[in-house]
Amino acid sequence: MNWNVIREYLPLYIEALGLTVKIGWLGIILSIALGLVCALILYFKVPLLQVIIKIYIELFRNTPLLVQLFFLYFGLPKLGIRITAQTCGILGLTLIGGSYMTETFRSGLSAIDSIQSESALSLGMKKHQVFFYVILPQAISISIPGFMANIIFLLKETSVFSAISLMDLMFTAKDLIGLEYKTIEALFLLVVFYLIMLLPVSLLGTYIERRVRYAAYGD
Amino acid sequence: MKKRFLTKIVSGISAVVLATGALTGCGSSDSSTTTANNADEQVSESVDTTENTDTAEETSANYRTLDEIKESGVINIGVFSDKSPFGYVDENGDYQGYDVYLAERIGEDLGVEINYVSTEAASRIEYLQTGKVDIILANFTVTEERAEEVDFALPYMNVALGVISHDDNVVTSLDDLTEDDEIIVISGTTAETYLEKEYPDIKLQKYDAYAEAKTAFENRNGIAWANDNTEVIAFSIENEGYEVGIPSLGSADTIAPAVTKGNETLLDWLNEELVSLGNENFFHADYEATLLETYGSEYEDTLVIENTELP
Repeated sequence: MNWNVIREYLPLYIEALGLTVKIGWLGIILSIALGLVCALILYFKVPLLQVIIKIYIELFRNTPLLVQLFFLYFGLPKLGIRITAQTCGILGLTLIGGSYMTETFRSGLSAIDSIQSESALSLGMKKHQVFFYVILPQAISISIPGFMANIIFLLKETSVFSAISLMDLMFTAKDLIGLEYKTIEALFLLVVFYLIMLLPVSLLGTYIERRVRYAAYGD
Repeated sequence: MKKRFLTKIVSGISAVVLATGALTGCGSSDSSTTTANNADEQVSESVDTTENTDTAEETSANYRTLDEIKESGVINIGVFSDKSPFGYVDENGDYQGYDVYLAERIGEDLGVEINYVSTEAASRIEYLQTGKVDIILANFTVTEERAEEVDFALPYMNVALGVISHDDNVVTSLDDLTEDDEIIVISGTTAETYLEKEYPDIKLQKYDAYAEAKTAFENRNGIAWANDNTEVIAFSIENEGYEVGIPSLGSADTIAPAVTKGNETLLDWLNEELVSLGNENFFHADYEATLLETYGSEYEDTLVIENTELP
């Protein structure tokens, strides 16, 4: 291990970390939003829309992100739609993430026993009150571990961005190996930087999970 | 409560330690019996390793010697699978091209089967250093930096860099580029190294593989594409609407087979093979079989190198 090489590479990795985190978190925030909307549509069984969303989920959960990125980045320009590599990365993460988040949140909603809404209704609560004060808080707290797992999964999925010329952490490492053949240093930094990006998320996830568990009924 | 919890943890840990101890004990006795069983097979290997330790410091060499390759009956050759007409997979799923033509002949003369390993530009050195392939025949340009990491045999082709662009917006000089113009390159190629070094201000758009760079260039994601001039000339001939604005950039280089650093038996054999092939004008035949269709005969003598004697 040559520490001079590592010092020389550090700025490149920091830049790559910045790009990865920026695209990753934008994608994650948007995918959570998309997931919530889609899950609510499924929960309330909105006609037509729920069919479209079911198709969307199956399509995006059962194809790799790489394939989706190829379609967005190389396919769309053929149809006359031009988006930059960054937009494409964010859009790709949002779409695959949205499908996972929908499923997680939907399972959280359906985990709430129907006896609870029945009891709430019999106590005289309005339908929207039942949903917002009884079902939703519990569903969110049940979904949190799944959300955190999805977030880590999405951040790791950024490693396929090299296919669309985005200099994320993975591509920076590969590119440096191809340019200067300092494999050990480049891979060492790659692992370190992925840990820098993911460990805090993982620890935060554990903390949040512990905090929100109080919301669950009957535990 | 807490105390009981602690004792539980401690007893749990000690149980795990004991169990692993017992298991490793069994493991070591097991392995000694297996070594005894395999002793016959291992004799030849251990002889080789003792020879290696005498000559080199690294005890675990990451390559197979010529004899080991012949004995196994299979040679692993790293080639491109997406770089027509040098190394590509045809519609029947067979490897074809200028590099593959040479690979086929090497396999034939060694008397072994060929296992083609598809490589990307950036991983060619890695594949050799980790012993995943015995020879790289993937349009590998000889450079000083690379020669520190792998051993090159005699060259079999000339190459320089070239820049291709769409014919309605031809780039004829890299000094005319504006700030927003991006040049497409493939990660790990000499074009990337050259532009990084000589034109650090030009924005590069880097791709992993030829196929992706090609599509990105067709989609106009970059203003031009810099690559080996053989490749960009072939592209402009095969596809309508493109022009090679800069046909020769940087220094004239050569392309050669590469083996893992220190694999002298294979390197020596390759050099002798390349000389004997040169003497029968093999690479002209190779050109005519694989490249003529793309380039016509005008490039034959500028591209092909025939080695007639060992240096």
